[in-house]
Amino acid sequence: MSAGGIAVQLGLGRLRGQVSPAGRRLAAVGAGLLGVLFLLALLAPLIAPGDPSAPAGIAYQAPSAEYLLGTDDVGHDLFAMLVHGARVSLTIGVLSALVATVIGLGVALAAGWFRGRVESVLMRIVDLALSLPFLVLVIVLAAFFGRGLVTTVLVIAAVLWARPARVLRSQVIKVREFQHVVAARGIGASPLRLIFRHILPRVAPLGVAQFVRSATIAVLIESSLAFLGLGDPSRVSWGNILFFANQRSAFITDAWLWWVLPPGLALTAAILGFAFVGYAVEEWSDPRLGATPRRRARTGRPARPEAADDIEQAPGTVLDVRDLVVEYGPPATAIRAVDGVSFTVAPGSIVGLVGESGSGKSTTAMALLRLLPPGARVVQGAMLFDGRDLRALPPSAMTALRGRGVSLIPQSAMNALNPAYTVRRQVAEAAALLPRTAAAADARARELLEFVGIPSARQDAYPHELSGGMRQRVVIAMAIANEPHLIVADEPVTGLDVVTQVRILRLLAEVQERWGAAIVLVSHDLPLVSRVANELVVMHEGRIVEAGPAAAVTERPEHAHTRALLAPLAVQEGLA
Amino acid sequence: MLRHAGRTIAQYGLVVAAIVVLNFALPRLAPGDAVDYLIPPEQAGTLTVEQRDRILSQYGLDEPVPVQFERYVSGLVTGDLQSSIRYGQPVVDVIGERIGWTVLLVGGAVMLAMLIGTLLGFRSAWRRGRRSDVGTLSGVMLVDSMPPFFVGMLLILVFSVALGWFPVFGALPGTEIAGLSAIGEILQRLVLPLVTLTLAAIGPIYLVARSALVSELREDYVLMARAKGLVGRAVRRHAQRNALMPVVTIGLLEVGALVGGAAVVETVFSYPGLGRLIYESVLARDYPVLQGVFLLLAIGVILANLIGDLLYPLLDPRVRRPPAAAA
Repeated sequence: MSAGGIAVQLGLGRLRGQVSPAGRRLAAVGAGLLGVLFLLALLAPLIAPGDPSAPAGIAYQAPSAEYLLGTDDVGHDLFAMLVHGARVSLTIGVLSALVATVIGLGVALAAGWFRGRVESVLMRIVDLALSLPFLVLVIVLAAFFGRGLVTTVLVIAAVLWARPARVLRSQVIKVREFQHVVAARGIGASPLRLIFRHILPRVAPLGVAQFVRSATIAVLIESSLAFLGLGDPSRVSWGNILFFANQRSAFITDAWLWWVLPPGLALTAAILGFAFVGYAVEEWSDPRLGATPRRRARTGRPARPEAADDIEQAPGTVLDVRDLVVEYGPPATAIRAVDGVSFTVAPGSIVGLVGESGSGKSTTAMALLRLLPPGARVVQGAMLFDGRDLRALPPSAMTALRGRGVSLIPQSAMNALNPAYTVRRQVAEAAALLPRTAAAADARARELLEFVGIPSARQDAYPHELSGGMRQRVVIAMAIANEPHLIVADEPVTGLDVVTQVRILRLLAEVQERWGAAIVLVSHDLPLVSRVANELVVMHEGRIVEAGPAAAVTERPEHAHTRALLAPLAVQEGLA
Repeated sequence: MLRHAGRTIAQYGLVVAAIVVLNFALPRLAPGDAVDYLIPPEQAGTLTVEQRDRILSQYGLDEPVPVQFERYVSGLVTGDLQSSIRYGQPVVDVIGERIGWTVLLVGGAVMLAMLIGTLLGFRSAWRRGRRSDVGTLSGVMLVDSMPPFFVGMLLILVFSVALGWFPVFGALPGTEIAGLSAIGEILQRLVLPLVTLTLAAIGPIYLVARSALVSELREDYVLMARAKGLVGRAVRRHAQRNALMPVVTIGLLEVGALVGGAAVVETVFSYPGLGRLIYESVLARDYPVLQGVFLLLAIGVILANLIGDLLYPLLDPRVRRPPAAAA
């Protein structure tokens, strides 16, 4: 199993339908803010009885027991306006979002169900609606169609429906192809039944997320309309209070403190509340979000172990790994991925580190470069290289060693190249570390690429323009750029076709011959590795189960697990 | 590459055509008589039926809709957007006087927001999960949740009323000015509206920059960059180069939101751009101007999106040189 796979299995990632701790905290704060505001709106007639738009007292009064927020320039009770304003702002926000989501859902169902021409016409309209400046459109629509509550709701919904439509449509299309839906279609279930029984329930969570998101924007739009004087003139809303404050220069006196701040903060709280709740709902409805571990496991920076002075590297080895232990997850519930592994690598030899997924071979490889994924750490052991313990090196010394002393050919080399740069530039970048002049680095890059089999005509290609095998060759060129003593090749041929696999392995053997670099070759394919390896180390569940010269291990496997890994070869030989 | 550009431009042409149709249809779909949208409201109420009919035929509104549409489109092509009810001038001239200020404001805000949003977003991504990331993230979300007009009012309160640093009205001083002092005066009046609009635009750009870089950092090529011995800035450059692509896209999409934001912000600061013109036209029921501004802004936003679409291949070699062409 890859290191990332372990992290996910340990629950460092998030399972489908769950909300991360951060998401839950945000949701709690958001729900709290919205709760207070909705309560205020609901209880408005009790808290502040009477008509808030009727002048109640003397103008510009400071807050008092009678007028909690004082009065404005014509003596309106600002607290009453704030409380009643909550009703209008929140009602319009929620209703518009609801209408927009329902329209969007309808369009999504029609487009996703009928596909074909219906879909392309509908989606064109969606694209159009999404590309219009929505606030300007709302203003123009409101100017033409009027300012009543219902009109405002419809106008806001008219600019908000397109985003839910686009998001929900892709979900409808996905659900439509689910096995049981296809089966139900096959036995002739009616479209309505299919839509209500099978599709709607699975689209609903995303619909809720889109509703909350729309509400966030709707509250902002409503307040902007009201602030421009385009709201319902007969109703008080938060934006409308600010419209009058701006028009009548609330800044002249200290009145702004209770005239401008409370409605502005109330709006901010409502928008923030919807945004927070929306974040959590989106996480809950979409398993892709936050599915990978985001933060480092909270283990803190582990104390660098003491340099292992008392351990002498075995003579005649380039690498001497002693009793290596690597754990994943928080210390209390840690899982040992590598459990007391020891092996040596002679200069210029190829050591095959083989095992099935989850045997700890890749974790061992990444530990050698000190590039373990977040949440994993070496808890015990030593990795002696050129007389120094890699585990105890200060970070700067380890960085200086990477590429020059030890280099990596990573797993899935397909993605190991930066898509934005040409391959020659990326190789030259590695070569320039030695240090060389730019011209020398470039010349070195040409030479290296030529050596690994990329002709000069293809050296200015971008990674996506090369085949998988060619990309793997480029990665090898990068790994050997500065003539390291040790190359860690982590599943270098996985994912390539058989012919290319053999060619790449042959290239690695050439690298070893020409530069005398030792190679730790990590793979799950024992028969393939045994073609080039001098020594074999077989791992199983974090431990070494068998090790020795390649010929001995393949010809007389002692451990049942080794025999299992060899089985494909036996089958092939039987057929030959 | 050229074919891609040609197809993109054709698609956008279709969108512009749809906007023209929408603009033509709006006053005709709206409730009430077309005359109500053509003459000042205080006069409209006193008209007799004959007078109304005369106005309708004067504007050609008694003819069949296709004929009206043809005249409307040919008018657009020659730059005729009817006349402003309020000013009596052609709408094109009214817009021409104002458009420069909005271009200055929106253009400046987009550039500033992209610069600051990207820097903050990248900084957060490198420190993701740590205190400074969580702090920045919360701060940006808070500012993003504040309506722009509220932010503008707060800025006026602090920087104009309390501190007296900036004037709060218009784009130019009342008196005649020239030369360097003119530039100083203009900049001084630009600062607060520009800051307000920039703050309104930073949120989405910051979030996209942050999450783009966070996801690039999980890519194998970043691990490889470290494995081959790169450190610090060199590793950063690898990831940031790729994270920049979605940032440019979102930045140009933000133009659409910002044009709407300008309507509100220019109103708060009495800034004489198109946004303020929308507001004034709504109050004065100057529908021809309102339509003209909407048409222009919609097309401007479409153009910004088009630029984004055409720019994207320059940033991403996978789009610029698709593998089929290279083979």
